[in-house]
Amino acid sequence: MKIKSHSMLFAALAVGAAMAVPAYAAKDVVFAVASQFTTTDPYDANDTLSQAMAKSFYEGLFGFDKDMKVIPVLAESYTASKDGLVYTIKLKKGIKFHDGTDFKADAVKANLDRVTNPENKLKRYGLYNNNIAKTEAVDDSTARITLKTPFSAFINQLAHPSTVMISPTALAKYGNKDIAFNPVGTGPFKFVEWKQTDYLKVAKNENYWQKGLPKVDSITWKPVIDSNSRAAVMQTGEAQFTYPLPYEQAETLKAKADLDVVAAPSIILRYLSMNTQQKPFDNPKVRQAIAYAINKEAVAKIAFSGYATPADGIVPEGVEYSVKIGVMPYDVAKAKQLLTEAGYPNGFETELWSGYNHSIAQKLTQVLQQQLQQIGIRTKITLLEAGQRVEKVESWQDPATAPVRLYYIGWSSSTGEADWAIRPLLASDSWPPKLFNTAYYKSDKVDGDIKSALLTTDKTEKAKFYKDAQESIYKDAPWVPLVTEKLLSAKSKRLSGVYTMPDGSFDIINVDLK
Amino acid sequence: MLQYIVRRLLGLIPTLLIVAVLVFMFVHLLPGDPARLAAGPDATPATVALVRQDLGLDKPLPEQFIRFATGVLRGDFGRSLRTKRPVSTEIAERFMPTMWLTVAAMAWSVLIGMAIGTLSAVWRNRWPDRVGMTLAVSGISFPAFALGMLLMQIFAVQLNWLPTVGADTWRHYILPSVTLGAAVAAIMARFTRSSFVEILQDDYIRTARAKGLPETVVVVKHGLRNALIPVVTMMGLQFGFLLGGSIVVEVVFNWPGMGRLLIDAVDMRDYPVIQGLVLLFSVEFILINLIVDVLYAVINPTIRYR
Amino acid sequence: MTTATVPLTSTASVRTPWTEFWRKFKRQHAAVIAGVFVLLLVTLAILAPWIVPYDAENFFDYDSLNARPSWKHWFGVDPLGRDILSRLLMGARISLTAGFVSVAVGAIVGTVLGLVAGYREGWWDRIIMRLCDVLFAFPGILLAIGIVAILGGGMINVIIAVAIFSIPTFARLVRGNTLSLKHLTYVEAARSVGASDWTIVMRHIFPGTIAAVVVYFSLRIGTSIITAASLSFIGLGAQPPTPEWGAMLNEARSDMMTSPHVAIFPSLAIFFTVLAFNLLGDGLRDALDPKIDRR
Repeated sequence: MKIKSHSMLFAALAVGAAMAVPAYAAKDVVFAVASQFTTTDPYDANDTLSQAMAKSFYEGLFGFDKDMKVIPVLAESYTASKDGLVYTIKLKKGIKFHDGTDFKADAVKANLDRVTNPENKLKRYGLYNNNIAKTEAVDDSTARITLKTPFSAFINQLAHPSTVMISPTALAKYGNKDIAFNPVGTGPFKFVEWKQTDYLKVAKNENYWQKGLPKVDSITWKPVIDSNSRAAVMQTGEAQFTYPLPYEQAETLKAKADLDVVAAPSIILRYLSMNTQQKPFDNPKVRQAIAYAINKEAVAKIAFSGYATPADGIVPEGVEYSVKIGVMPYDVAKAKQLLTEAGYPNGFETELWSGYNHSIAQKLTQVLQQQLQQIGIRTKITLLEAGQRVEKVESWQDPATAPVRLYYIGWSSSTGEADWAIRPLLASDSWPPKLFNTAYYKSDKVDGDIKSALLTTDKTEKAKFYKDAQESIYKDAPWVPLVTEKLLSAKSKRLSGVYTMPDGSFDIINVDLK
Repeated sequence: MLQYIVRRLLGLIPTLLIVAVLVFMFVHLLPGDPARLAAGPDATPATVALVRQDLGLDKPLPEQFIRFATGVLRGDFGRSLRTKRPVSTEIAERFMPTMWLTVAAMAWSVLIGMAIGTLSAVWRNRWPDRVGMTLAVSGISFPAFALGMLLMQIFAVQLNWLPTVGADTWRHYILPSVTLGAAVAAIMARFTRSSFVEILQDDYIRTARAKGLPETVVVVKHGLRNALIPVVTMMGLQFGFLLGGSIVVEVVFNWPGMGRLLIDAVDMRDYPVIQGLVLLFSVEFILINLIVDVLYAVINPTIRYR
Repeated sequence: MTTATVPLTSTASVRTPWTEFWRKFKRQHAAVIAGVFVLLLVTLAILAPWIVPYDAENFFDYDSLNARPSWKHWFGVDPLGRDILSRLLMGARISLTAGFVSVAVGAIVGTVLGLVAGYREGWWDRIIMRLCDVLFAFPGILLAIGIVAILGGGMINVIIAVAIFSIPTFARLVRGNTLSLKHLTYVEAARSVGASDWTIVMRHIFPGTIAAVVVYFSLRIGTSIITAASLSFIGLGAQPPTPEWGAMLNEARSDMMTSPHVAIFPSLAIFFTVLAFNLLGDGLRDALDPKIDRR
């Protein structure tokens, strides 16, 4: 649900340094992560990392397993009405919040009412207010949610890491803002302290409802911003887990006897979008020429040290309803021919921007530049710093004058579902500044498919619409899908039960330290 | 002199006012809408509007400035757009780690720098000078981030003698302060040397020598004193630089200080934090400069302040 | 000091200030070597487009990424398959120009401000020093971002940023010197015989500040190359694929554990260049300062 980036200023995490421990060794795990937490309140967070960390003390009604499949967590089961408007959710019984109060349907109501109330000014407001009409507590263990319009990806949305159950008592006690400094949930760990500059610490919840969990006594989440420094703390044993590990250092860390380097699949797609409203990119032949001119294997090899696979479609594998279409072939002769047909036999000059300014983007944009120059397209690279990105791309008001041309960026659908992988990026009503259609792509066919898919709850129907959408996008080529990256993490051999999930979040519930 | 100090302290007020206006205009000139940054790329326009309202950024600029300025007068710097905590708390938490790191770096680099500079000047163009100046030049010839990573790789990762990141014990201070101080030590050494060389040629030093005073007395008593003036200027300047400019070192060593806070604040366009930090930096600078000027007068009584 | 450039003893026939300078300068072997190095570097930088073995930006060989130095590639190949030697040579143009121009601008503006502040004192001093305080108060990175914000990214803006934050340093330095110089007897003497302010500043005070400015100038060229590198480190430096040395070193950051040569050669280039400028600066200083006559 958020653009992924793995370097100085965004995503990541690491597990547990044993701090001079007494004889019976309390198991303290330190997770070193790549940026500071913005908040502990998932409804007010927009970064994957803060939400991943919050999963140590918060749980949702639903969640994702480590392959991004939806699983019930605090919910027992659900039923959807025929018209797709009413969801009735049965809750698990006997679960207590950290403050000792019982988890009941009133918590569902309190949390969803809170986020859908504009007064509370929460950053996730938009995600819920668009579709939730009202939430009711039918009885202690039954909640009923009524939608404004049918939205078949609704359960995925409830599984999103921002939809968590905060203790209503605590919410009332601390208020809308201060709850972020005093989180009270049902999760496997209780919040201990947050020293913003240094670390956030959580300790074992002795009364956790899943028996036998958690297996460690505490977790210390420690932001270590520089990626090389993150590799260093792993080697010194100051941390037992780190993500993301810089790709270039994988070999060095692999050679260490006490460390494992883990490459996990992701649903993070890296792509090059082309502004289809502007010359010369309004010509599909030019766009196809660019797609043919780029050697995706080389991109994976150079920018990701091989820890990426050439993208074989518009929606990466692992996202529900994704379709494998095939890697756009690398064919310079054909690219040149297409460019000549389009009326640019000698190429042209254009801008190549990157939405990140980390070292991977540095390498990747230069590879793209090298390859485009082979067919005569001369590019000027600008790596946009976050504020510039917002100014020049995300908040640009008038589509007709948008300065973006070639734009390198990435996306992961954090609901694990095709809607959020296509609609924000390619629907015609998602042009900036609304959402993230940086190609300014507009196709009535695709728009229609997206709408129809949302209205139906029938899975085969949905699959058909999404397949159709992905294939027409692929043909129109508003993007060059480049690679799906692998999530590279390093962990101590003593550590088990920690996984990076395909969206760059973490599964830590089974964490254990030998 | 006292009058002078008082006048300078009063002079603080207009400077700070200028800084406040400038920094306020400056942060609003920065590209990028903080509400959009805070809300994230997948936020709907309605959400962005809510966040903007929440951050108080929907008000007209003059109103925002007045709110900022009157707040500052009451000692209230506003709340961080990012963490929602008071800016004063955010800065206070990070002030001491940066301060101690600066002091540590400054202490060893001034001592070593001046020692090398003095030795080099006394044995000018002989081997102690050459060794000393080579060391000094090395100190400024390597970017701090590369030096920091190199030191970390050698002493923490390979030899495992020192910790890599954090600021918990004195051992955590060694690598960052060496990294931070290397350039300062080099600059101090060079300035001490050149200032000293000049002084040692002066007539009164020749007179002192002619009187038959031992060379040590000449160097320490007559030379060092006068050589100190440019050195003190430099010290003041460097101290200020270190306080605000340890950004790179703080990133490499994950130092929980103000440099990193500034980087994060700029990245997220956290206006109140940027404003607070810049105001703080300018107060520091002005105070340091004042101290430098007073020290001038103490060292060299021929400088008169009116 | 007033007879600054007039030789006191003479064995040679005619001594212009220039021959006097040269006489003193050439006795300092380290400085001469450094000077030759700088000249060589400048020559290489000028000739770079014609002598580089490969195209610095557009040549690439994906089959020998990070290849170690060899006969084919003397300094090896970088992570993007480019020839490091060619990039360093082309980078010399950029880094030297950037270093020199930015410091020159900073030094000129700073010196003028410092002279005025130190000589006039009073309000001039207060206003100028206040401006310096304000400039100082903006940490370099903020200034850099601001400049990038207003002018757009890239090398030119790095130069401007470095120039601007050089100004107050020079200003304070020159002011400090001016303050102590203006109370020396010969300046007081000049004033008492009715010399104009302009004459006093240009003839008597300015020359006295040159030594300090030159020393700092030499140091600062190195510093500015390093500042450019640090800006790259925080993501605000030269845009790729500009082979600016600092940017090269920064790009090599993540590869330097596995392929040290990628980082070593840019580091050495930076190191020797800064070293040369410093040694040269020392030599110039000794040769320029009339008070120093070593026998």
